[in-house]
Amino acid sequence: MAVDRRGFLKFVAGVSAGVMVTPIPWKLLDDASIWTQNWPWIPSNVDGASTYVSTVSKLCPSCVGMKVRLVGDRPVRVLPDDNHPLSKGGISSLAVAEAQMLHSPARVKRPLKRAADGAYVAISWEEADALLAEKLAAAKGSLACVSGDETGSINDVLSAMTGKAGSSNFYLMPSEAQPAAKAVAAMGGEGQLGYDIENSDYVLAIGANILESWGTVIRNRAAFKATRPHGEEPAATFVFAGPVQNNTAAGADQWVPIKAGTEGAFALGIAHLLIKAGATADAADFSAFARLAGTFTPAKVAELTGVNEDQLKDVAKALLKARRPLVITGSEFGQGTGAASVLAGVAVNMLLGGLNRKGGLKLLPVAGPVVDGAMTRAEMLGKDFVAYMSRINAGKDKAPAAMVFYEANPAYALPQAAKMAEVLAKVPFKATFTTFLDETAMLCDLVLPVPMGLERLDDVATPYGSGQALYCLARPVAPMPAHVKPAGDYIIALAGKLGMDLGVGTWEEVLQAKARAMGADWDSLMDGNVHVSSSTVNAQPAFGAGMLQKGIATKAAEGDYAIAPVHKLNVGTAKTAIPPYNNKTIRRWELQGKELYVAMNGATARKLGVMKHDKIVVSNKSGSISARVNIFEGVMNDTVAVLMGLGHTAFDQFSKGKGENVMQLLTVGFESGTGLSVWNMAGATISKA
Amino acid sequence: MADRHLHPANGNSAPSQFGGAAPFFVGLVVALILGWWAFPQMLFSQKHQPVRFSHKVHMEGAGMECKSCHFLREDGSYAGLPTTESCAECHSEPMGEDPEEARFIEEYVNTGKEVEWLVYQKQPDNVFFSHAAHSVDSCNNCHEFTETELCSQCHPNVAETDEAPVYYENKLTKYSKQTMKMWRCERCHANPEHFGTTRSSNACYVCHK
Repeated sequence: MAVDRRGFLKFVAGVSAGVMVTPIPWKLLDDASIWTQNWPWIPSNVDGASTYVSTVSKLCPSCVGMKVRLVGDRPVRVLPDDNHPLSKGGISSLAVAEAQMLHSPARVKRPLKRAADGAYVAISWEEADALLAEKLAAAKGSLACVSGDETGSINDVLSAMTGKAGSSNFYLMPSEAQPAAKAVAAMGGEGQLGYDIENSDYVLAIGANILESWGTVIRNRAAFKATRPHGEEPAATFVFAGPVQNNTAAGADQWVPIKAGTEGAFALGIAHLLIKAGATADAADFSAFARLAGTFTPAKVAELTGVNEDQLKDVAKALLKARRPLVITGSEFGQGTGAASVLAGVAVNMLLGGLNRKGGLKLLPVAGPVVDGAMTRAEMLGKDFVAYMSRINAGKDKAPAAMVFYEANPAYALPQAAKMAEVLAKVPFKATFTTFLDETAMLCDLVLPVPMGLERLDDVATPYGSGQALYCLARPVAPMPAHVKPAGDYIIALAGKLGMDLGVGTWEEVLQAKARAMGADWDSLMDGNVHVSSSTVNAQPAFGAGMLQKGIATKAAEGDYAIAPVHKLNVGTAKTAIPPYNNKTIRRWELQGKELYVAMNGATARKLGVMKHDKIVVSNKSGSISARVNIFEGVMNDTVAVLMGLGHTAFDQFSKGKGENVMQLLTVGFESGTGLSVWNMAGATISKA
Repeated sequence: MADRHLHPANGNSAPSQFGGAAPFFVGLVVALILGWWAFPQMLFSQKHQPVRFSHKVHMEGAGMECKSCHFLREDGSYAGLPTTESCAECHSEPMGEDPEEARFIEEYVNTGKEVEWLVYQKQPDNVFFSHAAHSVDSCNNCHEFTETELCSQCHPNVAETDEAPVYYENKLTKYSKQTMKMWRCERCHANPEHFGTTRSSNACYVCHK
């Protein structure tokens, strides 16, 4: 029986009609759509019982307490910890990303050595040990060590090793703690400045971005929230003075616009008005201070800072009226400020009777070193890494034969970043202990992978900004990857190989000694509890008027426009770069694709003849960045707000090549009197691209 | 003109050659067989549980209940399947003569390895299903389900089986054939009466996270 064309077509029609009443097309379509959702790289949930471990973030500069939810031994979520004084039910956008960052593609998985052709090759730990020991021994004391951990006892170990090698070049990465320590020293005081925000009824933050990035920010937010019970009148007033209406200004009751870097002058303007209203303080150099403050009349302060005179007077009046006022000075981007600015802020607190008073400024006790030959905290904070690098650049200091970095990324994070990378290149041997392959690691000869805070035993002692002395442990909650080693034990063993006796056998011994020095109970700490002390240092500090007079900035920044860097924790730090999921939290007009947006107000844009989205070049003698314009009326006239944390040239696809690094534009200057390096007052010229 | 026949030269009429609509119906039947019988055979592969497990022995022989193994944890999350550790509470040593039990002890209990049980109704990660919210207590506010009846609304009743059912895995999606589709959830979620009493609306984010 032959099948002709017509018969075949009829058959095909029958098949077609039949298929339509079978599951084939519909099921295939449905399954294909499901198939497209199941790519192998999509992470899947882990089944199992949840357990929770209290610990503290070593990644977030706020040192926020957190509870890690584990399924088996896998951390799956970071949650707030109601019982931790630095969390109080809150969590930072950086800490919350930690569980995910354990799996970051930028993690260093094994020791790396730079080969002769410049490429990295993976080596064994034995080879790495031998190379590091050989180079440090050969350096014969020509060694510098830089730590990016401001609160940990690792600094005792690192500074002891550096000291025993015959070098005094141990440095902490720049932060707000250093000018604060200089200020305390200039006042003849002792201890660490603490800020009792919880008990204050009027908080004036001058430059300090207290609700976004300054100090113990999550605890600051908890204090802010506690004073604002739902449906009731706020129990405290928050005022922010700074060049940009940032998140602190947005939350505060009042925003007082002042130019970037003029926080000290603003505080002295307040001091002038307080003294005029009869405020005084029992300090030896009160009259010298009063004379200095007398020159900061509202008119002069208005000229220096750009503040509205009436607003300045209103703030001074409100401070006098408040029962427990607190003044916090700082930098909007957490670094680069001088000691004079802090001294001016402390002076206002002293005039308000706020020193060691509930809801005021406190001098908190600091534990001494627990490793033989380690620096004291005051000594560590007295060292200025930027100044050291500048001296090397100027030929005033010799580049060391070896430089060791611990969780520090100076090649990205220092002001004039490109210049700093050039200076680093002069150091013949560089090694870094790091979790991520950052910009500094890319310059090093040896990269040693260390575990993340969630994978190691570590500690946090009274972070700057805290209102009370405290000590807690970061406990290992996740298994450590196979080829990483905790730095504490490693450096103690390395020192032993180099013939140095640090007086401790293990890293845990160091932590136990620190716990004892802080007056904390080790077992309780290991249970996840926090040791908190309400004690303060009794002192009768002076105003440091002499130092203040020399250091207070009365000159405007160079260039026609001021740069106001904006620091947001969600964008990450120099150590972390942008946590992958946090890319979603970067706003549309902060970063668009790979292009940076900078913010300026309408008046500035008109003056420049630019509109939103126009491409501009912001440049000064330190460097230049290109960006597009966003119009935001919460920026002062003639000021450009630039988001920090972008423009990475290392890490992974989630950070690399996105935007520009504002640190390129921040020019280092030196404060008269203290000699401290400062970079909080950068100017620039702007041109259309 | 004589050559221009519209009909075949042999004189048979068209209806008689292929039965008129016959090819159409042949095609139709072929497609139906292909679609309803051959296609499912091709789409799903058959798998068996890694360990032969008898619910009957455990329920009738050992007097256990469903919730002895399938229970809610204290935090409200659902334990789902027992761990090797919990099985080892009884099976640290063989309790019977069954060679499968001996194999289970040797391969899993002695090594601490978890059994990769095949879950017939495992939902994808983008669906958040809480057993706690669908408990007997909550459903029996209106219904009068026994535990078995309630569980059987979604799961096959295996309480009296000696052998676990065959697991059919979709070769394309890798999900079980019995994975619940959304329309089955909507039997309750899209029911206005349910919404009134349970406040579980049919909104996307009730289930999808």
